[in-house]
Amino acid sequence: MAIMISIPAGATANQASTLSLSENLGDTIAETEATINRTLTQIDCSLAPSFEGFGFNRPDVGNFTPGQFGGGNGNFNPGQFGGGMNIPGQFGGGAFAGGGTTPMNETLYEDINSIENVASVVPMLQVSEGTNQTIERFGRSFTVMIPDYVIVGVPLTSSVVDSYPVLPVNITSGRNLQADESGVVLLSENNTAFFGVKVGDTVNIVGQDFIVVGVHGSSGVEDRTTLYMSLSDAQSLTNNTGYVTSLVVFTEDSASVTDVANAISSLHPELSVETSQQRLTQLQAMQTSYETALASAEATLAQTQSVAFEEVGVAVAATSLIVLFLMLYTVRERTKEIGTLKAIGFSNGNVMSQFMLEGVLLSLLAGVVGIAISAIAAPTLSGLLLPTASQLGAAGTFTRGITATNTATTASVVLTPELVLIALGAAVLLGALGSLYPAWRASRTRPAEAMKYE
Amino acid sequence: MSEVVLKLENLSRKYTLGKRNVQALSNVNLQVNKGEFVSIMGPSGSGKTTLLNVLGCLDKPTEGKVLLDNVDTTKLPEKELYKIRRSKIGFVFQTFNLLPYLNARENVELPMECCGKPKGERSKRAKELLQLVNLSGREEHRPHRLSAGEQQRVAIARALANDPAIILADEPTGNLDSKNKQEIVKLLANLNLTQATTIIMVTHDSHVASHTERMLLLCDGKITREKQGLHSIKKGQMCPHCHNTIQPSDVVCPSCQEKL
Repeated sequence: MAIMISIPAGATANQASTLSLSENLGDTIAETEATINRTLTQIDCSLAPSFEGFGFNRPDVGNFTPGQFGGGNGNFNPGQFGGGMNIPGQFGGGAFAGGGTTPMNETLYEDINSIENVASVVPMLQVSEGTNQTIERFGRSFTVMIPDYVIVGVPLTSSVVDSYPVLPVNITSGRNLQADESGVVLLSENNTAFFGVKVGDTVNIVGQDFIVVGVHGSSGVEDRTTLYMSLSDAQSLTNNTGYVTSLVVFTEDSASVTDVANAISSLHPELSVETSQQRLTQLQAMQTSYETALASAEATLAQTQSVAFEEVGVAVAATSLIVLFLMLYTVRERTKEIGTLKAIGFSNGNVMSQFMLEGVLLSLLAGVVGIAISAIAAPTLSGLLLPTASQLGAAGTFTRGITATNTATTASVVLTPELVLIALGAAVLLGALGSLYPAWRASRTRPAEAMKYE
Repeated sequence: MSEVVLKLENLSRKYTLGKRNVQALSNVNLQVNKGEFVSIMGPSGSGKTTLLNVLGCLDKPTEGKVLLDNVDTTKLPEKELYKIRRSKIGFVFQTFNLLPYLNARENVELPMECCGKPKGERSKRAKELLQLVNLSGREEHRPHRLSAGEQQRVAIARALANDPAIILADEPTGNLDSKNKQEIVKLLANLNLTQATTIIMVTHDSHVASHTERMLLLCDGKITREKQGLHSIKKGQMCPHCHNTIQPSDVVCPSCQEKL
């Protein structure tokens, strides 16, 4: 009976976690839209990421296209994603929109400034910090860096900071970075948890202390583990003085984007040049796939709800039947006792209330045990009985394999106080319902016959 | 003339067992006075238990009247009978029938509990009754920690709880060894002497029956014989030498002239 009662609890909890997954998906879609809007005049230039840059110790493995690694593992480990998921494999290849990962000498690309219609060139440095781990894939061994966080250096000059959207916009506590600052850092929420710091604290990054001025709440896949600091700080911190990993070119207007991109490509054929138009297409494709995932998550949620509803129905019916049979058995077993009680002066009402009380207390006890069991076993139970987050297809959105340690969203089961109260209330009600008939039968027992019963 | 507690008039009880009609009681007439100790003997199937059940309002007669304290219980509806059982009758069973999950005191309190006596009063009376049946100090013991004789004594205390007009004992010694048998009979006889409790006891055992005042023999649903038991000697109603009736005031037996 206890387990019967725990099933609806587990089902409801799982439902709640599914709901939060689809809410997350909704956020991601909104964020993608925002990215689309702010990238219309933007061209991202970077060197194609090399495997050395990613920490692979087999540079000669040349048959992988950059996109396969640069964009996360969308097509790296398909088994991890649900059927509906197919994230485009090359979302900028790094933490910041358009950011590359291969250092390039800043001075080599100063001529981009002089291309017609170029409004500004913003050099950015992006370096991942983390721990190396050896993995076996395709029959070969790779050393892969599992990033703990990603440092993005942004030139903190007023002309850049005030005019171009290169810093996160969603500040959840503290403030954003300001022009001409140094020795300060803007962390993501993920970072604050990783470092165990808050706004105003000092944080040690690669052996150097920085003051945390703010926290950004960007929840996009790329931004979750990204911290921002001034470009010069980032360059000296990572021994990359004079080097950047990407140049973000802003044009005077969106009409000239294609011409500028072509001009950059002819000047520097080694650069990967990505226009806002191309990125727009990609982002829209991404958005579509997110929406597909959301639809599938919502469908699964509806299914989960109906499954939960059925389970609750079955559990209710089963519980009252169990109480009914148990109490009928008890009444039969204790016929002689009932006879005795009646012989010494118990009225029908006395006997009936006695057995009702017993049934209610019994199922209340079972309810308490059931809640204890579901508190312990519901995660396992619901995992066995119900579709899990990864089955929903939604988890894949957040799991990037390589950055999985920091960004994975797992479904968790929570027993809320309301749920506990509902379960206890149901236990009492079902106990009363199930013992109604047995108690009535007990009260009707004819004492003379009951006394003969052994 | 003593007060009449129980009067049976032309009492009959028939029932069908399968296709067979059984006449468990036929035309039983009996009068029991207050303070009497009556035993009913008879072979198996003679109707002893049926008689006791009818007296105890656990069963209804097919015909006849049962006047208990001048109330005809056969006229009362089923729903009202529990009040009679609660206040006028105390039951003692062959198998004691104590509730196993209650201790001695709680078992004795049970009949008082269902008629709403306050807890303090209940507990006090239960302790007094347990003292009366020589079980002081064992109040908090559950039945499984008591011997058979002790359990029956708890049951007797329970039967006395609501100060009933009559105690109905259905083979109270049937499940006891001879030593305990002796003790229970003595206890009942003692209660009858000191508390003037009216007791009707069904028994197989003629030795047990001989301790009572009146011995009735039930055969095929009829009272076929009645004789005086040894208890009358104690009460000063029978000469211990010639077994003829005497008056309590007699110094010498009027029949055999022996000194009393």
